[in-house]
Amino acid sequence: MAGATLRLSDRDEEVTGRLVSIFANRIGGRLVLHYLVDLPGPGYQDFEYVVSGPVRSMTPLTPAASWHEREVHEQYGVEFTGHPALDPLLRHSSPENGDLRSDRATGHVGVSHFLRVQGEGVCEVPVGPVHAGIIEPGHFRFSVVGDTVLHLQLQLFYTHKGTEKVFETLPANQAVSLAESVSGDNCLAHAVAYCQALEEIQRLEIPPKAAAIRLIGLEIERLVCHIGDFGALCGDVGFSVPAAYCARLKEDLLQASVKAMGTRCWRGIAVAGGVRQEITVAGAQELRQRIRTAAEDFFGIADQALNTPSLEDRFEGAGILAQKAATDLGVVGPVARACGIALDVRRDHPYGAYKQSNFDVPTWHYGDVMSRARIRVMEANSSLQMILDHLASLPEGSSRTPISSHASGSAFSTVESPRGELLYWLQLEDGRIQRCHVRSPSFRNWPALPFAVAGNIIADFPLINKSFNLSYSGCDR
Amino acid sequence: MITDVVLRSLKSRSQLIPVDKLLNDCAASRMPEVIAQALTEPIATRIADVCPTGAITTESRVGEAMTLRLDYGKCIGCGRCMDAGDGAVRLAGSFSRCGVSRKELIRTWKINSEAEESNAAFPAVAREAIYGLIGRALNIRQLDPGSCNGCEAEITALTNPYYDLERWGIHFVASPKHADMLLVTGPITSNMAAAARKTYEAVPWPKLVVAVGACGCSAGIFDPCNRASRPTETATIPRNEVIIGPVDSVLPVDGYIPGCPPTPPMLISGILAVLRRRTLER
Repeated sequence: MAGATLRLSDRDEEVTGRLVSIFANRIGGRLVLHYLVDLPGPGYQDFEYVVSGPVRSMTPLTPAASWHEREVHEQYGVEFTGHPALDPLLRHSSPENGDLRSDRATGHVGVSHFLRVQGEGVCEVPVGPVHAGIIEPGHFRFSVVGDTVLHLQLQLFYTHKGTEKVFETLPANQAVSLAESVSGDNCLAHAVAYCQALEEIQRLEIPPKAAAIRLIGLEIERLVCHIGDFGALCGDVGFSVPAAYCARLKEDLLQASVKAMGTRCWRGIAVAGGVRQEITVAGAQELRQRIRTAAEDFFGIADQALNTPSLEDRFEGAGILAQKAATDLGVVGPVARACGIALDVRRDHPYGAYKQSNFDVPTWHYGDVMSRARIRVMEANSSLQMILDHLASLPEGSSRTPISSHASGSAFSTVESPRGELLYWLQLEDGRIQRCHVRSPSFRNWPALPFAVAGNIIADFPLINKSFNLSYSGCDR
Repeated sequence: MITDVVLRSLKSRSQLIPVDKLLNDCAASRMPEVIAQALTEPIATRIADVCPTGAITTESRVGEAMTLRLDYGKCIGCGRCMDAGDGAVRLAGSFSRCGVSRKELIRTWKINSEAEESNAAFPAVAREAIYGLIGRALNIRQLDPGSCNGCEAEITALTNPYYDLERWGIHFVASPKHADMLLVTGPITSNMAAAARKTYEAVPWPKLVVAVGACGCSAGIFDPCNRASRPTETATIPRNEVIIGPVDSVLPVDGYIPGCPPTPPMLISGILAVLRRRTLER
């Protein structure tokens, strides 16, 4: 278990586990801090702490807490004593937002500071927020000497849409549509995580058929994501043949989903209580065939690409993320597994049909671009096996359980999205959402990117960034 | 080895989808279509009530039949109206409202009159117009001032071997200074508004702006005020303070492509429609 020591503010006891998330919630007149931790043995634990005055910062002990504390500070004005830099995270100074430096009264204290690297020959390269491609926006500030990156600082949250607040305006049974738009290329993972939290509040079991269809969709989403990433990695080193090939295979999978489910990215499929659409027996047969063909083509092309010396030369040793940095920052998903950290929600905290599934959780040890590419190929293989197994033996029965629209209570749920552990924490009052906290895997993994980039040449940044495959919108919300 | 990869690629058959199969195709967009004959007042009220973005609304005036309004610019294709519509709403078989004006995305029906109030029919893009487009060059700069990445994923798909946007001489370029058209997703966040304006200013004249997706057209599900006219909405809905709004709240827009996200054929139809309309106007 990746270790991190958490010293909770009101007590002097220490727990050792993996920090999942920190967020605040206002209930009545009280402000409650939630520390969600994954403990070896008991699993997820939600420690609550009522805020009355300044709170001791956890960041010096557990760097993974830094962005969470900055976010809570900005949203709720909580002071964290001992935090190295409580700069605003979500909103930037701009003509629309005003100068946040002058806004001390509202808790927006200060403005994001860029670390200045000084010395002979050091210069700064600002990149973004508008990037040179069909990509989401974010600002990167490189301090370089010659071609070598000394330091990279991120300014993200350009796509911050107040999503957690928008959840509070929606009836619980409709908000799954918003969950699908948190990170548009992982929409089913978000929808399922949201639905599971809602079902947990009502202590509802979904029918086995619905669980199987969700699993098939989630694994197709992973396959699409990994094949797309692998192709994009090849494209980033100028190897355009496998890049175009992977783009074709990705489209093959999307069109197979259209044939079987009437949707490319599995939007509108998951609903609270099950799924909206079934797969027919003939549809399952065809889907199985098409996915097998596309995936096997992918393994063939990936194998050839990975054994091409010019590609090996660029991938190997580029963007190494040390296991220590990954552990301290609580990195999740394929990025963690490429540094030898064997974390996978599907195996560690199984949900839905994963409770009855056997699969490998591959790990690799070098933490470089090559490791992250290899991990994706290996994971695509176990996804394929799971999809084929479940499509061959779809359970009978209904695919949807009726669900109350007046539920109250709180619960959380996690899903292994293609990018890693995804958390939804949900509180309802008579079917209205009081609070919905979303911790996407990218929120966890973004802070690790600068550690992988330092020491590399700036021209390798797009490649390293792509090998992390981070979602801006999922992080910014 | 590289030679194996190239050989493999050369051996595989062409995936290119012919032009006439793409235009007006909306398979998998999950866009709804209203069957006017089957529409009744209870159904209209019910489907308006289940719509999470306020795309479907009803209006009642004393002494007049109820009016149903469907705004494709707000629709995210969640399918709830089809579940609740008792056969009065179904999946659209084809869709010609891509690259049109914002007003043309809205359709209205008087209930029990079977006729559509708004201009119902859109001419499919004529074959001559399609061939007229071949051979010209258009440089597109895609701009994401706050999207969820769903539209970006579909825009990226335009360059894959199935759709191959380059067959029309249309390229995606890295700099706004090389662009003729901005393809803008949405909603525009307050953090990105300044960058969006600067990007627009950097595009040389003449320039076109196309708003993409439900969020680009109307801010979609991210603007709670879109739902203000729902029959069951009683409490006042707070404004979303960290977004500015749809694309046209910051930039002048020449055409709208709805969908959540729009499928690649809808994107292609929309881009070509805007181009054609603007060419005819000049």
